[in-house]
Amino acid sequence: MDLRYSPEDEDFRRELRSWLATALPQEMREPAFWAAKTDDERFAVRREWEAGKAEAGFAGILWPTEYGGRGGTPTMKAVYDREMALANAPTTVNPLGLTFLAPTVMALGTEEQKRSIIKPLLHNEVIWCQGFSEPGAGSDLAALQMKGERQGDEYVLNGQKIWTTNAMHGDKIFAMVRTGDSGGSKHAGISMLMIDMHQSGVEARPLKQMTGAEEFGEVFFTDATCPSDEVLGGEGNGWQVAMLLLSFERGSSAIGQYTEFHRQWQQVVALAHRIDRDTARGGRVKAADDPVLRQQLANALVELECLKYHSWHILTQTSKGKDLGFEASMTKIMWSETFRRVSDTYEAVLGTGFQVPDPQPGMSLTELTTLAMWSRSCTIWGGSQQVQRNIVAERVLGLPR
Amino acid sequence: MEFALDDEQRALQDAVRSYLRDRFGPAQVRALYDGTAGSGSDDGVPAALWKAIGEQGWLAVLVPEAYDGIGLGLLDAAVIARAFGAGTVPGPWLGTILVGEAIRLAGSKTQQADLLPRLAAGEVKGAVALLRAGSATAPAASVRDDALSGDLGLVEYAAVADTLVVAALDAGGAAGLYLVDPHGAGVTLVDHEVLDRTTRLQTVVLDGAPGDRLDAGGNDVLRDLLDRAAVLAANDLVGTARKAITDTVEYDKTRVQFGKPVGSFQAIKHDLADLHIAVTMAEHAALYAAHAQDVDADDRQLAASIAKAKAGDAANAATAAMIQYLGGIGYTWEHDAHFAFKRAKRLEFTYGDASQHRERIAQLTVDRLWGGDGPSGVTPGDSAGVQGTGVAAGAA
Repeated sequence: MDLRYSPEDEDFRRELRSWLATALPQEMREPAFWAAKTDDERFAVRREWEAGKAEAGFAGILWPTEYGGRGGTPTMKAVYDREMALANAPTTVNPLGLTFLAPTVMALGTEEQKRSIIKPLLHNEVIWCQGFSEPGAGSDLAALQMKGERQGDEYVLNGQKIWTTNAMHGDKIFAMVRTGDSGGSKHAGISMLMIDMHQSGVEARPLKQMTGAEEFGEVFFTDATCPSDEVLGGEGNGWQVAMLLLSFERGSSAIGQYTEFHRQWQQVVALAHRIDRDTARGGRVKAADDPVLRQQLANALVELECLKYHSWHILTQTSKGKDLGFEASMTKIMWSETFRRVSDTYEAVLGTGFQVPDPQPGMSLTELTTLAMWSRSCTIWGGSQQVQRNIVAERVLGLPR
Repeated sequence: MEFALDDEQRALQDAVRSYLRDRFGPAQVRALYDGTAGSGSDDGVPAALWKAIGEQGWLAVLVPEAYDGIGLGLLDAAVIARAFGAGTVPGPWLGTILVGEAIRLAGSKTQQADLLPRLAAGEVKGAVALLRAGSATAPAASVRDDALSGDLGLVEYAAVADTLVVAALDAGGAAGLYLVDPHGAGVTLVDHEVLDRTTRLQTVVLDGAPGDRLDAGGNDVLRDLLDRAAVLAANDLVGTARKAITDTVEYDKTRVQFGKPVGSFQAIKHDLADLHIAVTMAEHAALYAAHAQDVDADDRQLAASIAKAKAGDAANAATAAMIQYLGGIGYTWEHDAHFAFKRAKRLEFTYGDASQHRERIAQLTVDRLWGGDGPSGVTPGDSAGVQGTGVAAGAA
């Protein structure tokens, strides 16, 4: 048992901190800076800042250097996740490209695809969307219907994708499309196509989330086209490509989530010292002194700290080159439920005040409230909690289907 | 970064498990429940098992080498506690370990030389009475001129112990630790029937019982000792909980109803998935808490309370689920499920229950985080930033 990071990791931490000290101005760490901007302006600032980060050598920490990455280790990635979260640095505007597409291209792509896709992605010259879910294909992804009909050296595309993150900012979309006969198996006949979103047959419409923001949307394809060499992993192999692609989430240690949710928890505690309430037995106290809320705050911290210990466990395994496989579903359940628990506590501390951004003079809770609502989405996207539980039960515990 | 047992700790774990598998399995535990264990076990201490525990060094792990011990850390003791939980092991192992810790932390050279070698060998059995009934922090006894009085409540293995460590408050309210002869003057023991037949409980009442003071044993050492006790109890609990989950999963893979294994039903498999996660997290917490004491980490008190709270909750849930998901057979005397449930119930409420530890967690964190930068500083970075974080955003 040794929870210290290696001298190399600590060197990397110092280097990253010192770069952040100059490259991330204080104002960008303040909520007011972002609050004064529109959604599009925020996106543009983050896009540019992140491109600068790539120039400085702090992008693609785990990627090989030949693809513009850092060539780093899992512990370096954990150091990176932690430091970026501690600094309140802008997060990536290209999450689906960075997390999923790029590693898949490195694994399966042709030389030409690697050259043309990875560097522009890393430098945010191309923002990628992911086209998996459809109105009739959510948890049951293989029920997807979007068609790609081969005509000469291109596919003609018709269908619809939904819950598409960054739909309004996307340049290209990697999508699961039915290009051939399923032959009776719904996993067959699917291809992973990389489609230009800037064409007349592609229309993206925003969807308004319960937060009021429009960060995802739906994408309609009406006789849109895609060159036949824009297939990743070969025609008809789309299901296998998607499974590989989704596996790239598994290396995540969740230390970044821990860092963010822990900060959220601290902010809830700060609030609990400012807000008075009656205890269930009567008597007016600070929320932080209410015995029931104290139990809730403590319980949220128990889960948070367990998430941190779990991230150490993941790092220990991945540093030895072990693939955590389906255990990743456990990690997803753990961090998303912890996030919800912290959010529940926030709502309980505020009570009716949760309904307004300024329950007391000087309070500005818009961002925390948005965060609490966002926690409701995290147990749905990327495989709902119920799907994840099936995976844990069947693939980790070995219970029958 | 290595958050795992090392090779020697894994070897220790294997040694304990394999001894239990070969020499003290479910049949021997059942004999204790059925009262058929034979002579020498009426006191809840199977003689051959206790002898082996001494010979194997499982009582010597924390005793310094200078006193014929092995001089390892709490993490090594935690490995044993976890295996003992999984094996439903009876006997005064924990009490004897804690008496050794009290003497190691607070005793004089003379007391250490007298007792530690014999505790390490299992020649002397120990019991502890550190808390009044229902408390996670306050001693039961009071002391005047090294004479102790008070109702100590239920004490594990007081009747077989050769020495009892009692925490007592002096007239000024300061805590001290004392060695008391449980069979000496001023000590009354009342035996009870116990639900968990892998322990024995006696009510201990002191009335001017002479105590041999452990001179360095003030409030801080008592706190430290209670944390160590809680960490070992947490490790026993996670061992118990893991065994319960594993056995339940195995049963539900093969038990058929409606023409299918019951483990294929989502009402059951989803709960088992959640329990597996809860127990895994409790295992992490129990592991870290032991390590945190060994390296004197800044958050060692917090870690101890997190481990005890999480392990207590997880073991309660896991052992209760075992009874439920076995159906009728799980409620019978003839199935072993109740061994785990009763053990978890005992340890869940020993050395502070989950709500008491959560209150302590609040004292260690909430009360010290007096929102310095106030409510307007309560706004984090841009929400869009948060949404894009971590592992990929969005469904799609």
